[in-house]
Amino acid sequence: MPPKNENQNPLEPQTAIIEQHVEETDDIFSLYVRPQINDFNFRPGQFAMIGLPGYGEAPFSFSVIDPRSRMLVQTIRKAGTVVDALSALHSGGQVSFRGPFGNGWPLEKLDGKNVIVIAGGIGMAPLRPVIHHLIENRSRFGEIYLFYGVKTIEDLLFSDDLEKWSASIHVLLSADEVRQNCRLPVRQGLVTVLFDQLLEPLSDAVTFTCGPQIMMKFAAAHLILQGQAATDIYVSLERRMKCGIAQCGHCQIGAKYVCMDGPVFCLPDIQRFADTFL
Amino acid sequence: MSEAYLLSRKRLPDWIKSLAEIYTVLGPVPLRRGQTVFEPIASADLLNPNYCSTMLSPRLFIYPGCQKLFTVNRSTGQYVTADPRTQRPQLIFAIHPCDMHAISVLDRTFLAKYEDYYYRKRRDDTVTIVLNCNKACDSGFCDSMGTGPFLRLKQGFDVALTAREKDFIAEPASENGERLIGGRDFFERATAADLGEKEEIEQRAKRSFTKHLDTDGLPQLLMRHLDHTVYRRTADSRCLGCTNCTMVCPTCYCYNVQDRTGYDLMTTTRQRYWDSCQELHFAQVHGGNFRSSREARMRQFVTHKLATWVEQYGCFGCIGCGRCMTWCPTGIDLTEMAKEIQRDAAEK
Ligand code: SF4
Ligand code: FES
Repeated sequence: MPPKNENQNPLEPQTAIIEQHVEETDDIFSLYVRPQINDFNFRPGQFAMIGLPGYGEAPFSFSVIDPRSRMLVQTIRKAGTVVDALSALHSGGQVSFRGPFGNGWPLEKLDGKNVIVIAGGIGMAPLRPVIHHLIENRSRFGEIYLFYGVKTIEDLLFSDDLEKWSASIHVLLSADEVRQNCRLPVRQGLVTVLFDQLLEPLSDAVTFTCGPQIMMKFAAAHLILQGQAATDIYVSLERRMKCGIAQCGHCQIGAKYVCMDGPVFCLPDIQRFADTFL
Repeated sequence: MSEAYLLSRKRLPDWIKSLAEIYTVLGPVPLRRGQTVFEPIASADLLNPNYCSTMLSPRLFIYPGCQKLFTVNRSTGQYVTADPRTQRPQLIFAIHPCDMHAISVLDRTFLAKYEDYYYRKRRDDTVTIVLNCNKACDSGFCDSMGTGPFLRLKQGFDVALTAREKDFIAEPASENGERLIGGRDFFERATAADLGEKEEIEQRAKRSFTKHLDTDGLPQLLMRHLDHTVYRRTADSRCLGCTNCTMVCPTCYCYNVQDRTGYDLMTTTRQRYWDSCQELHFAQVHGGNFRSSREARMRQFVTHKLATWVEQYGCFGCIGCGRCMTWCPTGIDLTEMAKEIQRDAAEK
């Protein structure tokens, strides 16, 4: 696959126009951007390097991919210099844009299967287009579970969507602290407290998970104990990234580049290396 | 391109002079304090073809330590790509086989699925003349790594030279190489006997090594022992975290990116510079660091060079030049770590 940049220099960005800026929670916002590229070809789980000259770039996954309006949504947690600069932008603003990069979720593995999606915190963002895909093609799958854990109820992303989704899939929520009521039922504890809701056996399920490394580690261990094959678990990883094209070295885990071979990995394929925290 | 030629030592200055008319010739020059450094040379007077090793490998002529990528006009949003090329095309003279091999290793990173625009331009614009090593250098083990003492590459360079007492055997390996030799009256055709002698010199050179590393099954072995205590012991007792090892390593490719905006706020320049996995910040993300211990960073260096590189690129990331241990202030030697793991596995 040749680089998507029309100018043949994969390090030189294109421009993307901001259509909308939405505050999602206290520390998470979404940017709706329209990249100025001919070939609108983005897959759930892929990412783009987005930034501002003078501040640099950082990798962001897509929480919405809409080919009709040629729009992408990045849902971003406020942390770091690049994000600080991006969070000040509003509709009409411009950002630098390179991508898409990475492999994306292996959606084809889900056909005919029960599907388990496990999201933690901001990890819900790259999984949202997966849920869109599952619901749009609902009849192709068996049972579908979304387990979504957050710190507090205020941290729940896309709550309108969650309500809508619960009409066609199991939406199960947990929060470390549950202090007030929520329109949807939320259990207190880590996301794994919800796993008693799973219908066994798990042998026919495929799991996609994205969230804090420690959450993915325990969630995966839990599922494997309950009989799921490790090779049916896919994790999306976050690493420092400077290039997105397997050259700056920052995102390496063992023999893998998270930016090019990932960010989605089949669990045993990445677990065999050092420093995975999985 | 099986043709081989002879160049008498007396005529070397003539050849260099004629090359310098077309290229910036970068050759090994002995500088003060015993350090040989690759520098532009206009004549052969300064050239030291018997050099052992340089601190920095000639990688920096193709992949500079700091490189401008582009500038952006902040009011118009216009990007201007930086031209990575030097004013005149460059020619690296007397690069050792290990270092030439290292460039071919870097090619596998920068000229891969994605092609680095800047590396490509410099690489295409650089002529390489290799000088085979007639004896092992101080801490080299290129013979073990399959990268020396005589060049084993078949392509990706322009001419290979072998020094004899009175002359050099010159073997062109590219059209460019042919051109640099052809039509110059100071070259003669080499005979089969000359090439036979080259073979002998190579065998003698191979026998002169005192440092060896058994690479058979090494990647698999290292991956089976990721938690071996040698990494922690070495890192905690001796590693200063100075990053010398990765700065002098001729195959290290990692870089960081930095934006600089002028004081008039009119233009921003994006540049990249060599980074090192031995830096604490290297694997830092918001809210965590995936290699926060020195042990983890030490293991990254050793296992990348001697194990995971093979899975990534089909070759070792170590070319056996010995620079990392030479320039490590405490002499940390990755072959010793590998050997300790090999010994422990053999005892079990
Ligand atoms: S990860 Fe470390 S050893 Fe590997 S290329 Fe980068 S700096 Fe060199
Ligand atoms: S982000 Fe540079 S190698 Fe992956």
